[in-house]
Parts: sequence; C-alpha cells; structure tokens
Amino acid sequence: MAVIEVTDLRKRYADLTVLDGVSFSVEEGEIFGILGPNGTGKTTTVECVEGLRRPDGGSIKMLGLDPVKDGRKVREQIGVQLQHTQLPENIKVWEALDLYASFYAKPRDWRELLEEWGLADKRNARFGKLSGGQKQRLFIALALVGNPRVAFLDELTTGLDPQARRTTWELIKQVRASGVTVVLVSHFMDEVEELCDRVAVFDRGTVVAIDTPAGLVDGIDAEHQMRFTLMAGDMVELGGLPGVTGVTRTGNRVVVTGRGDFATAVTAELARHHILVGDLRIDKRTLDDAFVALTGRSFGSTH
Amino acid sequence: MTKLAVVELKLLTREPGAVFSLLIPLFILVVFGSSIEPGDTVLLPMALAIAVGLVGLYLLPTTMATYRERGILRRLSTTPVRPANLLVVQLLLQLVLALTACGLLLAVAGTVLGAHLPTRVLPGVLTFLFGTAAMFAVGLLIAALAPNGRAANGIGVLLYFPMAYLAGLMQPTDQMPDMLARIGEYTPLGAFRQSMQDVWAGGAPSPLLLGVMAAYAVVISVAAARFFRWE
Repeated sequence: MAVIEVTDLRKRYADLTVLDGVSFSVEEGEIFGILGPNGTGKTTTVECVEGLRRPDGGSIKMLGLDPVKDGRKVREQIGVQLQHTQLPENIKVWEALDLYASFYAKPRDWRELLEEWGLADKRNARFGKLSGGQKQRLFIALALVGNPRVAFLDELTTGLDPQARRTTWELIKQVRASGVTVVLVSHFMDEVEELCDRVAVFDRGTVVAIDTPAGLVDGIDAEHQMRFTLMAGDMVELGGLPGVTGVTRTGNRVVVTGRGDFATAVTAELARHHILVGDLRIDKRTLDDAFVALTGRSFGSTH
Repeated sequence: MTKLAVVELKLLTREPGAVFSLLIPLFILVVFGSSIEPGDTVLLPMALAIAVGLVGLYLLPTTMATYRERGILRRLSTTPVRPANLLVVQLLLQLVLALTACGLLLAVAGTVLGAHLPTRVLPGVLTFLFGTAAMFAVGLLIAALAPNGRAANGIGVLLYFPMAYLAGLMQPTDQMPDMLARIGEYTPLGAFRQSMQDVWAGGAPSPLLLGVMAAYAVVISVAAARFFRWE
C-alpha cells in the first residue's frame, strides 16, 4: 500500500523552477531515499509532502489525505526531523520530549524513547550542552514521539563523525523494524546504499530514476576498470575479450577498462594461459557511478 | 497549550535577560530613591517606563527572532500545533514579566522607599496597558525585520537609548531642549512616561497621549504582522 503518492509536482520561486514534474510513491514500511546533490529540489519536495509549502501544480496524497487541506490530520500522523533546526539552548532533554509529546493526540511514552535513543543519562541535560550526536538523536526521538506512521529525516547524519553515523544507521533500521515508514533525504551515497529499500534520484527538479540501490547500480553501463600486476608468464592479448574497451600496460602494471562483467572474462583468460597476477583490483561500481550515468555529471561537481 | 506555557515560563526564568529586565529598573529606583522628596511623582513613573521599555525593546524581539532563527517556529509547523500558539504564549509571558517588573517596583517603592502611590487604580492600569501595547508592537516589528536574534538584540539596544532619552528617562524633560522634549512626549515611551506621571500627580492621563499610544500599538503591530516571516 502506498502511504505517499506524489504526481507531477511543480514549484517555482520567481524565475527559478525548483520542481519540474516530480512523481514517486512510497510504500508502507520501507525506507525510501530521496537522493541528489544540494539544490535539486529534494527538501522542497519533502516540505510540500509535509504540508509546509504549497505546490504550484501536481497532486500529493499523504496517507490518502491532502497535506494542505487536511494539514492537521496529516501532521498528527507524521514525524519530522528538519535540517538546520535547533531547540532553545536552555530546554532540558526531557522537557523537549514531554512538550512535543503533548502536541499529539496519541503520543508515545517519551521515557521509552529516552532509553531507546540512549539519552536516559542526558535526561536533565540542557540542549545547548549536548554533543552533535546527542542532539541528532534527540531530534530523531522528537520526530518519533508523536507515534507517527511516516517519519521524515532530512540529512540526519550531516556533521556527525563516522562512529556516530554508523550508530544512527542502526537506529534507523530499528525504526523501520518497528513498522514506521521512513523517508530519508540525503546527499550521502553510502548512507542511501546502506539504509534505503528504494531510492528516487533527483536532478534539477526532476526524478531521473527510482529503483533499489543495487538496481540503480546494475542498471548503468558505465566503463570501469580492473588493475593487476604481472607476476609470472607472458602477457596475452586481452583487447578482444567481450566488454573490454581498452588495455594499458606500464611495466608490470596492467589496467583494463571495460563495460559490464568484463572482469570475469579477463580473469578466465589469464587463468587459461597460466598467467599469475597479483594485486588484483576491480573497481566496484557505486551509486556515484549510477548518478553520473543518469545525469551526465559527477555528484561532487554539483555542490 | 498549557504545557507549552509552562515550558516557555521555565525557559524565561533561565534567561539572564529576563532577570536583568527585573533588576535594572529596580536598581535605578533604589539608587535614586534614597534622595527623593516625600510625595515625589517623577521617579517611579520613570522606573516603570524603563522596565516596560526593556521588556518590549530588548527581551521580546530577541526571544522571538531567536526562535525563528533557530527554526523552532518551522519545526512547530510540522506538528499538529500551530507556531502562532508559541508567539501568543510568548507575548503573554512577556506581559507577565512586564507586570512582575512593575509590581516589584511598586512594592519596593511603596514599602521601603515610602514613595507616593496613586490612589486611583484604573487610570494607572489603562496607561500601563496602552504603553505596554505600544512598546510590544515596536518589539514585534523588530522581531519581524531582524534577520536573527543577535540583530534583534542589537536593534533593540540601539533603539532603546534614543527612545529612553526622548522619553526623558536619562535627563529630566525640563532640562532637555524644548523641541526634543516636545517631540519626546509623542514617542511611545515618552507618552507612556508622561501619562504615568500625570496619573501619579493625581490627574487623569491625557486622552491625546493615550490615543497616541493606541495608534502606535495598532499601526506598528499591523506593520509587524505584515513583515513577519515564519522562517
């Protein structure tokens, strides 16, 4: 069952077209990724779905409701963690949770959330005294305190150290396990690959692809490379093998470029001629490559 | 709503600025109060104007602009509660703070200093309400226009000094240049101090000055609402 259905969403600010016909749907119980560089309309899309912004065109069904007309009903059933928001410096952790719980008709017991999110010993700490990771966990706990059916998490690991990111990822998987649908906005490929069941790739105000992370990677036909060092035996001609597009050799170092599963053919050929190689590396294709293939530009260059 | 008010009240008591708004006018009252003559009708209205001015120009806009800057209003708008509730709660709490400050001043002046207190309550209450409304409107306009909490704080402080001077809070009006004193009487804070002084002298506040304060309150609030941004 689709919990969110977005069809042909459009939004302009003055002369700037931010959303140019965005469509996707989110299924119940999945972690749905919204991936793309900054400024491609991800946040605007999510804000329209949450009812924070009015779209200029298109339709949104959020749990069967219109986020603008049925705003209150929608907001009862969603939890949101926004980018760039803070709490008052002097509010205590338990006060923030207690306060936000009071906004909802059927909230969760915030004491449980304190335990789940490892904030029990910070219960009486003031927001301003928390570390970055603790603040982030509090924001996620606040997004869940209303007992939502859908949780929106926007750039949730930005600014966290690698250890804290890993921990946060595990917690997000637990959120899905508890039956909450998660919409995850991110510009981190690794995060999306790790967490998302399906991903919508955004570029310049449109969705250029929707698939599983593995499906997106498999769907591309980009060139990639394998490298190895000749240890023993004479080099044979590899250029004619299926998928291989180029071979360069510098001393004992060989770089083979190709498309698809050419690496299997190359290793089989080397084995057949009893050529011993060392230091073998095959570049793993990643979502980064998928993004380049889908948009014609690299992810990093758009920042 | 109740919980929101309780939490906001707690936050206000943890705010050093709130304590200063209570203590600064009290300090001025006590320092100068030792040298007033019995039956003085000038000092206490001045202290009241300082208190209301501090809350309206400094504390109110800084708090509200900070809430917007930190995205707290935006975060609230994703919950079933509307962010306007937070603004209403804040306005009421700041009003309570201004009342507390004035109550403290009256209590200290009436008991320790033995200062004169007006016998008629209604004109004083009316003047307080009109004057506070005018000053809060200015504070709201600052909150609407300032890009962040620090800017709001800066604008509030920058506005406070000329307004306090024109209102005759730094120099008695009879020692100010005539023109400035006359202009000052029609500023929000000046009208407030003058009306309070009239009340203290046993008279009624001038309808003209009450009207001036009401006009400021309405016009500036409308402008503030017009320019206010939620994010």
